[in-house]
Amino acid sequence: MNSEAVMTRLFEKLNDLKSIFLYSEKLIPVIQSLIDFMRETIPLLENINHSIADSAAKIPKVSHQINNVTNATELATNEILDLVDKMLNETRHSESMLERLLELEAEKSELIREVAMHSTSPKASELLQKYDEKYDNTARLEVMLGVVKNIKQYANNITLSLQVQDITAQQLAAVNHLIDSVQKKLGSLIHDIEKTQLRSSDELQIPFEESMTFDPNARYQSGYTSQKMVDDVVSKKINPATQDEIDKLFHKE
Amino acid sequence: MNLKFLVVDDSVTMRRIVINSLANLNYLDYVEATDGKDALAKLESDPEINFVITDWNMPEMSGLELVKAIRADERFSELPVLMVTTRGLKNDIIEALKARVNNYILKPFTPQVLREKIEQILSTTITEK
Repeated sequence: MNSEAVMTRLFEKLNDLKSIFLYSEKLIPVIQSLIDFMRETIPLLENINHSIADSAAKIPKVSHQINNVTNATELATNEILDLVDKMLNETRHSESMLERLLELEAEKSELIREVAMHSTSPKASELLQKYDEKYDNTARLEVMLGVVKNIKQYANNITLSLQVQDITAQQLAAVNHLIDSVQKKLGSLIHDIEKTQLRSSDELQIPFEESMTFDPNARYQSGYTSQKMVDDVVSKKINPATQDEIDKLFHKE
Repeated sequence: MNLKFLVVDDSVTMRRIVINSLANLNYLDYVEATDGKDALAKLESDPEINFVITDWNMPEMSGLELVKAIRADERFSELPVLMVTTRGLKNDIIEALKARVNNYILKPFTPQVLREKIEQILSTTITEK
């Protein structure tokens, strides 16, 4: 290769180099703005990281509080049940006493009637009528018995309404389970950002028991609609009208 | 027929409510268990138990597992079992029926529903016998 060719090749290379420099000159501000962006982003990321760590640290407390709510409502519900039991015992006692009083009142009335019939005094029938009108307590006792029976019914209804405690306990357990999952996810996020494990001190442990069981769909619904659906499924299964219905039932599974 | 109930539920509130409801229906003989395992132990130790009312969601052993364990044991294969639970999805009910529960009640229940289901189960089991 002669020197002219070498020089031509050298100039070509220099031109290439110049183009690279020119391109780099244009690229430098872009890189600079990227560095600036990253510089600004780092505190933001640190902020996010701190927020996540802060939230993660608060979660066990929330979980504790949910457990406390469950325990407190269970305790309160059982105290109410104790009182309702006492109330029911008292009303049962009152009910049987009133029933006995009604029997005695009937016996007393019969006795007075017999005395009046055996009496020769003309005043006897007048006194009997007065007794019937004013001193026969049967009607009053019947009203009182009705009231006591109503109170018993109300107490029973209170007992049944307290099923809400079991249902809310299951809903809260479902929320706790969800919180546990969020805590684990946040832990892994912090780990990814900081490359350090989330503090595993006791205060960061969620008091979630693996053995805790619950129905996440538990609902407190009064009325017969839901039970009607259950009855339909059960009756179709137990007393299926046709094989077709059985097949349909199992096909839907 | 003298009935002795085994009431299985991990919630003390629910056990009390079921027992109160049974008392209102004049069924006063019962034994309590806190989960499926406890229930199986009670069944082993008390041969007079002739009716089981069980919840589904329980620790250690669920109500469904309990039903399966009961049905797998020859001695209890015909023992009446009533499931009382919050699980109202159709698939749950079908799963319970496949495990051979005799009937199924959704919480919250009323004593009327409890009475109805107990009577239905008793009439079916008596007819079958």
